[in-house]
Amino acid sequence: MKKHLPEAELARDTRFRRNKIEDQIFDPRNALMGTRNLGPAAMNYDRPAATERSRSLMHGIFVGEIQALEGAGRTCFDFDETEAPFALKLDMARQCWDESRHCEISVKLSDHMGTDIGEYGESTFLYAAACNTDPVMRLCGVNRALEGLAIDVFSSMKTFGESSGDPILTFCEDWMLADEVTHVKMGSDWLRRLTADDPERRERALDFQRTVDKVFSLGGFRGEQEENPIQITRKFRSLAGFSVEECDELAETAKQAMEEARAMIEMAQAATAAAS
Amino acid sequence: MTDSTVRTAFAPWDRRALPGLFTVEETARRVGNYRWAEMRLFEVLGGWVATVPELDVKMVLGRHCYHHAWHAELWTKRLPELREMNVDRMTVPANSAFEKFMDAIREPEAPGQTIEKLVGVYRVLIPRTIAAYTYHRNGTSEITDSPTIRSLNHALQDEYADWTEGEMLIQSLLDSAEKVERAMQRQTELEALILEAGGIAGPDSIGSQPANNGATV
Repeated sequence: MKKHLPEAELARDTRFRRNKIEDQIFDPRNALMGTRNLGPAAMNYDRPAATERSRSLMHGIFVGEIQALEGAGRTCFDFDETEAPFALKLDMARQCWDESRHCEISVKLSDHMGTDIGEYGESTFLYAAACNTDPVMRLCGVNRALEGLAIDVFSSMKTFGESSGDPILTFCEDWMLADEVTHVKMGSDWLRRLTADDPERRERALDFQRTVDKVFSLGGFRGEQEENPIQITRKFRSLAGFSVEECDELAETAKQAMEEARAMIEMAQAATAAAS
Repeated sequence: MTDSTVRTAFAPWDRRALPGLFTVEETARRVGNYRWAEMRLFEVLGGWVATVPELDVKMVLGRHCYHHAWHAELWTKRLPELREMNVDRMTVPANSAFEKFMDAIREPEAPGQTIEKLVGVYRVLIPRTIAAYTYHRNGTSEITDSPTIRSLNHALQDEYADWTEGEMLIQSLLDSAEKVERAMQRQTELEALILEAGGIAGPDSIGSQPANNGATV
């Protein structure tokens, strides 16, 4: 078996539908949707679209868990011990087990919420971040950026479960949140250990993390303002090794992403109005 | 009046015996072979996760990947206790034939080869691992080497459960005569390779019969 399996070769059964990023960007319906897009909106249970949005997000979590499992598994295989020490690979193997459990939980939760596997499309952004040939970059992109996002997502979903009176959702999100804190902490610890004598490598890895963070803050999806559906969770991030400065930086990135999204919406609306 | 605190060192039901089949050096050699095999196994199980389309298999491989990584960790900790401070020096395949066998186990990659992947691990490698671990556990000194026995028992508990789960996955995938044939062919190829290697710890993985085949009382 070859090292470094490309994103396009991820194996799925026939229920799954892969979204290509170019299809999403050039979707002709985007212009029309842009005219109705009012920007990010908090995922409150009493909003009309709350059920649909939570089911869609749950499916996104599910496919994200599959890719996290695949990414951690590939890190066990892709690197020899000169590139990634045994203790790191042991952590990644442990993460495989955790992500397997999260897949199981997600399948059960999706069923509980009335969603079928494959009902929504799958983007493979997460696995793409796990394809980096430098293990430190992978840890920053996956364990710190994406698992960090998972902390925010699970915390927000837990809050949604509490507010909507769904004890099953609340219970499961709480357990998954505990695992994610562990995974982010693994990333923080290994980043420090592997780059202790190489500050340039550390900075490159942190740059990669910032890029991934920005992508996943797209359009105001995540932030610290009331309208952001996913809230940055400083408490759990600090448990996982994030400093106050890092949380501030992430909040600023998210804020910029939201402002950029608003500007794009205004441009799209102006263009549509001019054309009509 | 008798002193009730004066008792034999070994309770009547404690029948553990001092003699064992293995020296410290031989134990370290075996443990190093086990570590090598467990490491190659957890790596490939992790690598395969992304290559199998069957969702249930994907999740099971992810779980089992950690079991074998943890076994490797048990052996990582045991080696220095066996006077082998350089763990990597002893982490080697039993022989070149075993290395060739593991390469063959790890070779399938295509999404249509789930049967070949599972047969190699659950019908050939894990039964051989259980056999070698069981022989070691039953043959080593129950007193001097009890830390190894404890680790072997922990590992065996996982191996039995994983073997069962893997075999059930295989049975559920073999839904035609053609697939049964594929599974058998794969098993035959790998059995030939492991026969040459003798097992995960080499030719003496499960001991050997006395030359005269004499019965003992």
